[in-house]
Amino acid sequence: MSELNDEKYEEIVMGLIVSGGNARSLAMEAIQAAKAGEFDKAGTLMTECEEALTEAHNIQTELIQKEIRGEHVQIMLLMVHAQDHLMNAIVVKDMALEIIDLHQKIK
Amino acid sequence: MKNIVLFCAAGMSTSLLVTKMEKAAANEGFDCKIAAYSLNELKTYGPDADIILLGPQVRYNLDKVKTELPEKPVVVIDMRQYGMMDGKGVIEMVHKVLGE
Repeated sequence: MSELNDEKYEEIVMGLIVSGGNARSLAMEAIQAAKAGEFDKAGTLMTECEEALTEAHNIQTELIQKEIRGEHVQIMLLMVHAQDHLMNAIVVKDMALEIIDLHQKIK
Repeated sequence: MKNIVLFCAAGMSTSLLVTKMEKAAANEGFDCKIAAYSLNELKTYGPDADIILLGPQVRYNLDKVKTELPEKPVVVIDMRQYGMMDGKGVIEMVHKVLGE
């Protein structure tokens, strides 16, 4: 990552946080929609959630591939935090699908 | 002096935005105090705020925060501005919401 300056790297990491965080928010909003009986809205929100997660994944993959190519990726605390956001988003997404399904069964 | 309080999941990425906002505020001579906390600390730091800003990653808590502090202006930070760490843009939005 030597060719990346700090500001550019910060921007990439923020991209990871924003898309991961957005995916998590969308999944939570989908659960809230399902709770209110709005299952179509929940479905749309989950599709948007998947898209946001894909975006985050792409950023992540790009960084991992850089490292594999021998371009060392600098690890800063903010990057660790970004991984936290991403992992959280993936878990919440999986759980959201189950919870929405449960709401549907209850109705 | 305006007290601007930002909340996100851990108060970490938002802290980065705070430093950019402080710089933008200093540049235009805007007298304010800006701080970032975890949403868990809403009860501690929320009541003293003039405006509450939420990180886009905790957007789904908007209704909860509004219920908790019904008299406060609560705004979700624009995702694009957040990603770009656009301190100046967020300060402009704060002015607008506070009607300045």
